[in-house]
Amino acid sequence: MDRSFQVVIMYILTHLSLIFFLYPRNIIASTDEGHWIPIIIGLLFHFVTITTYLKGLSYFPKKDLINIYLGIGKGVAIFFLIPTTLYFLMIIILTIRAYSEIISIVFLSKTPLWAIMAFLLFMSTYLASKGVEAIFRTGVLIAFLFLPLIILIFCSSVQNVDWHYLFPIVDKEFTFFTNSSFYVSFFAVGGGFLFLGFIPPFLSYQRKKILIGALFLIPCFVLSVYIPILTFGQATASTLLFPFVVALDTVEMDWLIFDRVTMFFLMSLITFIMLYISLVLWKTIRIANVCFPSFKPTFLTITLSASIFILCLLIPNWNDIERVFLWNTYLRFYVMVAIPISVFYFGKRLRKE
Amino acid sequence: MKSLLREMKDTFGKNDDFFILKEHFVNAPVVFLGFKSLIDLPKTLISIQKNMDSIFQSDKTFDQLMHWIGEVKVNDTKEALSAIVEGKLVILLQDDKDQKYVIVEPISQVLNRSIESPTNENVLQGPLSSFIEDINTNIGIIRKQTNSERLQIRSYSVGTDRKKTLSVLYFENNANIDLLQKIVKHIESNLEKEINNVQDLSKMMGFSPWLAVNKFNMTELPQEASKFLVMGRIIMFVDRIPFALVLPGLFWDMFAIENDRNFPVPLMLVFRSLRIIGYLMTLILPGLYVALVAVNPEVLRIELALSVAQSRDGVPYPALVEMILMLVILELIMEASVRLPKSIGPTLTMVGGIIIGQAVVEAKLVSNLLIIVLAATTIANSTLVGFQNTLSTRLFKYIIAILASIYGILGIMGGLVLTCTYLAGLTTFGVPYLYFNMKKEEI
Repeated sequence: MDRSFQVVIMYILTHLSLIFFLYPRNIIASTDEGHWIPIIIGLLFHFVTITTYLKGLSYFPKKDLINIYLGIGKGVAIFFLIPTTLYFLMIIILTIRAYSEIISIVFLSKTPLWAIMAFLLFMSTYLASKGVEAIFRTGVLIAFLFLPLIILIFCSSVQNVDWHYLFPIVDKEFTFFTNSSFYVSFFAVGGGFLFLGFIPPFLSYQRKKILIGALFLIPCFVLSVYIPILTFGQATASTLLFPFVVALDTVEMDWLIFDRVTMFFLMSLITFIMLYISLVLWKTIRIANVCFPSFKPTFLTITLSASIFILCLLIPNWNDIERVFLWNTYLRFYVMVAIPISVFYFGKRLRKE
Repeated sequence: MKSLLREMKDTFGKNDDFFILKEHFVNAPVVFLGFKSLIDLPKTLISIQKNMDSIFQSDKTFDQLMHWIGEVKVNDTKEALSAIVEGKLVILLQDDKDQKYVIVEPISQVLNRSIESPTNENVLQGPLSSFIEDINTNIGIIRKQTNSERLQIRSYSVGTDRKKTLSVLYFENNANIDLLQKIVKHIESNLEKEINNVQDLSKMMGFSPWLAVNKFNMTELPQEASKFLVMGRIIMFVDRIPFALVLPGLFWDMFAIENDRNFPVPLMLVFRSLRIIGYLMTLILPGLYVALVAVNPEVLRIELALSVAQSRDGVPYPALVEMILMLVILELIMEASVRLPKSIGPTLTMVGGIIIGQAVVEAKLVSNLLIIVLAATTIANSTLVGFQNTLSTRLFKYIIAILASIYGILGIMGGLVLTCTYLAGLTTFGVPYLYFNMKKEEI
């Protein structure tokens, strides 16, 4: 059955959750002017990666990434899947740790950090243990509940923009290429597409619709950076830890019983993050299940979650989070470049035979 | 081998409502056996007499006569015993050679209520007949409502000590064949289990009894049942349970009722959106109160925050305890009003209203904002279709309220995700609980 709708929704949700928190800061930190150039470069990279990946996957109908690599050879599988697994683990740890810190800073300052992390991890583990179809159905339900809210708040966030902050428009020196923040920002473009390779045995989807869904994300990428810049200006925005969140804080809605809408926007994004983490967890468990077929999946899930929780507790503060982010960026580029190209290459080779 | 008569006397002889009547049919001695409480004996005897007289005119043999008035069986003791318990009249032919007997369908005592309006569901501007306990009447009502030759019915007799008739109804080309086969397989492999209530039926179908949501959709209305049949679902009737049990029950059934289609489309959309809003309000409101009062008061506008804090002035315990206390009292009132006889019920409602409405607020045990929140929640809860669905929602709102007291608004969102996850993980024979199909091949 064609489940493109569910897959596209999940795609959009996972990317939305990644875009609005840390991406603006990284782009704003990477250059002083002409921010649209790094954004466009990131987006181009994203589209090229996805197109290659989807095309490569279309050569192997109904097979997921693990089976594709195992079909070619065990060595190939190890070469590609081990870094991927490591990447997934680091993503989960980083995401949970970073977002728990964000939650703790923005609204739940009196709750201990480990409680927030345990909550996020529990939700994601429970969802991951139900299987991929349940994850996607939950995704559709959550989209139905929270996406209108997010779009509404997003549209209202242009309330305080001053268009003069748009200039200067072009950065003649392209200074961002030497700035590490630029490369870290690729987590928003590269973090969420690998799941498309893990779901073909369970859900079928059409490539075209995923690309159309990706188009919908373009204004989100652009506006998430430009709204803080237009509201505060480059100089102020570069000092903020979460520029978009602070820009949202300035929005005033007289008719609402709530003072500021930041809370609801962030909370909705946190639910999307729970979805994202559960998806990545499910992928990791799939790979682990192939490597250790003797263990039951429930046992693997629980052990994995427990170890992730302990590892999350070991990261003490935000600076360390940023450092681990940087390390993960190397892995991310490897995974983002190697896997789509390899899938495409193997597919083409299979076609020729 | 005991004679049939001796067997009957041994099994039923001690029952005072068991009658053994010796008669003569065309000069042949016969024995009438049956339960007085199930058979209207005078009327039955008169009708048999009339039958015999009219047939006696046309020259037939004794054997043909017997075949005419009922089913003739030979030597089958078990069949005879179960026929008597079911309420049929057994005529034993006193024959020396073999144990012949006739099972006659008698004029039964009227032991069923008439077809009335539904007690658990209310219908506005729609048909008002509802199912009753007798399974044959129910199947007759469905046949009348659907009026189609594609309606197929299969009946099974289940149970060993207490026997019940179980019927499976489906529409020939619409029903999912896979689903039907799985259901039939479960029934046929569990024929010796007793079915007295829906939990037993769930166990027979292989569902876990620990689910918070009922996988059967239970309806009292024939128009609903008929619509489900056309959509491709499978309906089960159990004798003495006055509901149609629809498999698979889906999430959307909580919001969409067939009677909506008796109104124009905009009105139908309004009703359905109201129910969805009611569902969300039931889940979120109690948790929102607890979160905004106890954990995240800075979210509210300053005037509202101050008035909320003022309303809680003097309340001695935290918001969660206040909320759970009042919710429990409300649940107690609802359960009590179901138990009480109709004459005392209104008194309790009045007492409950006064206690909750006035006294508890004036005694500063709870804040009056909480009463408003609870009243809104209870009203919103009742907009859902299906009594069991309202009960499931009542369960989920507690979980969300507890999470909200620990994590604030994050807890509410997390609780909603938890509820969505739980619902997304339920499947009935491969059909997910959250199945939405707008296409022609519905379910």
